[in-house]
Amino acid sequence: MSNSYIPVPMKVKRIVIEDPEKALRTYDLIFQNEEDRKNFKYMPGQFCEWSLLGLGESPFGIASSPTEKDFLRFTVNRTGSVTNEIHYLREGDMVGLRGPLGNWYPVEKFKGGNVVIIGGGFAFTTLRSLIVYLLEHREDYKDITVIYGARNPDLFIYRDEISEWEKRDDIDVQLTIDNPVEGWTGRTGFVPTVTKEIGPDPDNTWVVVCGPPIMIKFTLPVLVDLKFPDERVYTSLERRMKCGIGKCGRCNIGSKYICVDGPVFSLAELKEIPESV
Amino acid sequence: MVNELREAAGKLLDDGKVDLVIGWAKGSLPLASTPVFISSSDEADQLVFDSTCGNNLTVYFTKDNKKISRDRKKVGIFVKGCDSRSLVLNITEKQLKREDVTIIGVPCSGVIDTRKVRRKAEGREVLEYSQDGDTVTIKGKEFELSVPLEELLSNACLSCLRKDAEEYDLFIGEPRKFSGESDPYSDIEEYENLSADERWERMNEEYSKCIRCYACRNVCPSCYCNVCFVDQNDPQWIGKTPEITDTMIFHIIRNLHIAGRCVECGACERACPMDIRLLYLNRKVAKEVRERFGSDTGTDLDQKPAMADFREDENQDFIMG
Amino acid sequence: MIRIKKENISGFIEGLMSDYVLFAPVKDGETVSFRKIESADSIAEDYMNTDKSPKDIFFPPAEVLFSFDSGEITKNECSEKPFAVWGLRGCDVKSLTLLNMVFGTARQNPEDEMFQDPYWKEKYDNALIIQTACNDPRSTCFCNWFGGSPHDGEKADILVIYIGDAYLLDPKSDKGRKYLETVKNTEPAAKKDIKEAERLRAEADSSLSAVFELDGIVGRMSGLFNSGVWEEIGAKCVNCGACAFICPTCHCFDVQDEGKGKKGKRIRIWDTCMFPVFTAEASGHNPRELSKDRLRQRFMHKYSYFMENYGEHLCTGCGRCVVVCPVNLDIREVAKKVMSYQS
Repeated sequence: MSNSYIPVPMKVKRIVIEDPEKALRTYDLIFQNEEDRKNFKYMPGQFCEWSLLGLGESPFGIASSPTEKDFLRFTVNRTGSVTNEIHYLREGDMVGLRGPLGNWYPVEKFKGGNVVIIGGGFAFTTLRSLIVYLLEHREDYKDITVIYGARNPDLFIYRDEISEWEKRDDIDVQLTIDNPVEGWTGRTGFVPTVTKEIGPDPDNTWVVVCGPPIMIKFTLPVLVDLKFPDERVYTSLERRMKCGIGKCGRCNIGSKYICVDGPVFSLAELKEIPESV
Repeated sequence: MVNELREAAGKLLDDGKVDLVIGWAKGSLPLASTPVFISSSDEADQLVFDSTCGNNLTVYFTKDNKKISRDRKKVGIFVKGCDSRSLVLNITEKQLKREDVTIIGVPCSGVIDTRKVRRKAEGREVLEYSQDGDTVTIKGKEFELSVPLEELLSNACLSCLRKDAEEYDLFIGEPRKFSGESDPYSDIEEYENLSADERWERMNEEYSKCIRCYACRNVCPSCYCNVCFVDQNDPQWIGKTPEITDTMIFHIIRNLHIAGRCVECGACERACPMDIRLLYLNRKVAKEVRERFGSDTGTDLDQKPAMADFREDENQDFIMG
Repeated sequence: MIRIKKENISGFIEGLMSDYVLFAPVKDGETVSFRKIESADSIAEDYMNTDKSPKDIFFPPAEVLFSFDSGEITKNECSEKPFAVWGLRGCDVKSLTLLNMVFGTARQNPEDEMFQDPYWKEKYDNALIIQTACNDPRSTCFCNWFGGSPHDGEKADILVIYIGDAYLLDPKSDKGRKYLETVKNTEPAAKKDIKEAERLRAEADSSLSAVFELDGIVGRMSGLFNSGVWEEIGAKCVNCGACAFICPTCHCFDVQDEGKGKKGKRIRIWDTCMFPVFTAEASGHNPRELSKDRLRQRFMHKYSYFMENYGEHLCTGCGRCVVVCPVNLDIREVAKKVMSYQS
C-alpha cells in the first residue's frame, strides 16, 4: 500500500536569493521519478513537508501553480536547524518531499467573482501560486486585486514577477512598505491600514489573506468593517506540524487538524474553532 | 489534628495573612489524597493530613511558569519535613521569597507507597484504608488486613531523620526536633556493594521500564528549569525514545542536576507509574554530596546548595586525585 | 460457544503461538503489561487489568518508519506472522477500534490510501483479538459510561469467559469463528456453563457504579472553553504524561530522525499535548502556554473533538489514568465538574 510517511526524491533545479540578508531563498524542485510527478496533483494553498534525512522535516506552502508543469517552487526562511540545512543546499542537490498536503483556496467558488489577495512578508508563497493560477484562468474571474506589504522594499519576494504583474492591466497590484524610504513610489503603511484606504468593494468579491499572525489579526476586522461576509474571507493557518496526514495530533485545534482540514479556512469557519486566531 | 489544620488555614485566610493555602484534600481513591488550593476559609474543611499525603506541594511554586507566585502574593502551604526542605531549597535558589510564604508544618509519620499496599493485598483491589496510630487496615472485596504502617511506608520515609519541618511559621501540634544522628544509608548499601557491572545491570533493569512520562521530574520541586534539557529541540541534546540509551541519559542527568538539591522526599518514586526504584541513584548521589560537603539539603536558609557553593577548605580530592 | 478445560488452556495458547505472534499480559515486577510471549506459563494471572495499555502492540512507543543510507530509504518489514492478543479487556478492545478510526482510515476520505497508516494497518488488520471477560471489575472501571460492559465482547474476534474450572470461547467475528474451528480438544459449552457465564456477567455488571450521563458534554465543553473551569480543574495538574502514556486511546506522536551523517532512521515516538514542548514554536511562542490550556486540550480531545469527528468519546473507561495520576486528577471528576459547572 502507499506510505505517506516516505518522502519522494526531488532535485534542486534552481535557487534564487530573495533578500539582502540571504535569509529568504526560493527553490525550484524537479521530480526524479516520472511516477511521482504524475501522482503529484495539487492546487494553490496546499503545502509539502520537506524531508532532510537525519535532520527532520519542515512544512512549506507550495509557491508554484499547478499550471506550471515543470517544477515545484518553495520559498524558505532560515529559522531553525532544518531550514538552516536547506540553505546549505546547492543546485543539483537532492531533498525529500511529502505531499501535496492539506486543502486549498476554493478557486472554484471564486469563479465569476472579484478576488482580493492580501499578503505580508515572505508568507506570500501560496499567494503567488494562487495569482499565477488565476491569471492562467483569467477569463473565469472578474477584477483581481493584490495588496502586498513588506517591512522595506528589499523584503518583497518574487520581485521580478511582481514587476511583470504591475505592467498588466488585468491585475491591480498595490505594494506597501511599513515606513517611507527614498526612491519608493508605492504606498506606505501597514497592510490593514492600506487595505482600508483601498477599500475594496465587498460586492461579489472573495478575499484571501495570508501573512504574519499580527497582520492577519488586524486585517480581518478591516474586512469586517468593509462588510465582507465571513464566508468570503479566507486565510491560511500555520502551526507546528509533523505527520501532515491528520494522525500525530500536533496541529489539532478544536475538532480540526490544520494539516488536513486546513490550512485554508474561511473566517466563518475560524470563528467556530477555538484557539485559531 | 485535622480540625487544627483546617482552623489554622481558615484563620490565615480570614486574617488576610495569606490569599491562598495549598494543602491536601481527600482524594477519589482510598489510598490517594489530592492537592487542593483554598482561597477562602469556608473551603478549609476540605483539608486533611494523613499517611496518604505524599505529594510535595512545594512543586506548585515552581511549576507552570511559576504561576502561583506570579498570581498570588501571599501563600500559605502545608509541609511535611521533606517538603519544608524543598521550600528552603527553593528559597535559597531565589525561586520565592521567605516573606511571601507562610509555612505550616504538620507532624509526619511517613507516607505510604501505594505499590507496597498493593503488594500486601496480593493484587486484590484495596477499597478502604484506615489508620490507627502505627497500624493500617486495608479492606477489599472479601479481605481485610491489618499491617504495621512501617511496612507500607515509602522508601524515602524509611530513612528519613527529619520528619518534621524545621523552618515554619506555624506548626500543627508539637514538632519533633532533629536528633542529630546521621543517615546510615543502609538502604543503598546492598546497591553500593554490587560490582560496577552489576550496578549497571540493575540500572538497566530499572530504567528500561521508563516510558518517558516525566512524572518523576514534574512532581519534583527541585526540577524547575524553564526548558528541561530533554525538551530542548534546537539543538536537541538527547533522543526522545523510551529506549534504554535515551532513558538512562535522562535519569542520570536529572539525577546529577539535583545532586545536592534533592531533599529525598521520594515524590518521584511514588509518582512513577512504572514502579522504577528512582531512589537508588538519588540516595547514592545524596550520600556522596553529604560525605564530601557535609551539607544537609534544605536545612539552612543561609546556605547555598552544595554544588552552587565553593569553599577553599572543602574536600577537593576529586580534582587532585 | 466452546469449552476448554482449565488444564488444557495452555494447549490452546501454544496453538496460538504457532499460528501467530502472540501478545499476552506478563508480570514484570509490580506491573503487568502486554508482551510478546514464548511460553504459555509466562502469562500473568490474577491481574485486574494491565498497567500499560495494549496500544503499544500496534502503536509502539518508538517505531521506525524507515531507515536511510546515503539517500536510499528502506521501510522495515513487519513480521511474517500476524499478531494475536490474548487477555484483552473489553475497554481495551474498544480502544483499538477507536485507534483504528484514526490510523486505519481518515474521516476526510476513508477510501484514500494516503490517509491510511501502513504501520498500524499491517499489524492491526490481520490481528486476532481475543478478549477476556471481566468477572471482577475495579472500582475505577467506568466502561458503562461509554456503552461498554464487563462481558461485552462484540468488538473482539473471540470472547473468553473464565468460569472457574474451564474457559468458554465465544466467537464474535468470522475471523474468530474460523480460528476456533481449527482448534482441537474442545467440547461444546454445556448449558450449566452458559448459565454460569450469565451469572458472572450479571454479577460483574452489577458491581460497576452507576453510569454518569455524558449527553451534551460536547456543547458544554465548547461553551466552557474560555471559562474558569479549566483553571479550577487544572490547578493541581503537574503536566506530566503519565495519563496519556498509559491511556489506551491517546495517540499523539512526534517524528524524529536519529543517526549520524547519511545513515540513520526516522522514528515516530509517543508524545502528548500535556507537555509544553508539544506546541512550543521555534520563536519561543507557545499557543498553549499554561497547564490549563494543555489539560483542556486533552480532555476536550477525549470528550468533545473526537465525538464531533467520529461520533465516539476517545475514552473507554478503563480507569488507568485514575490510578496512575500522581496528583489524583480523576477524569471521572473532570467530566462531572464540566457537566455541573456554573460560570
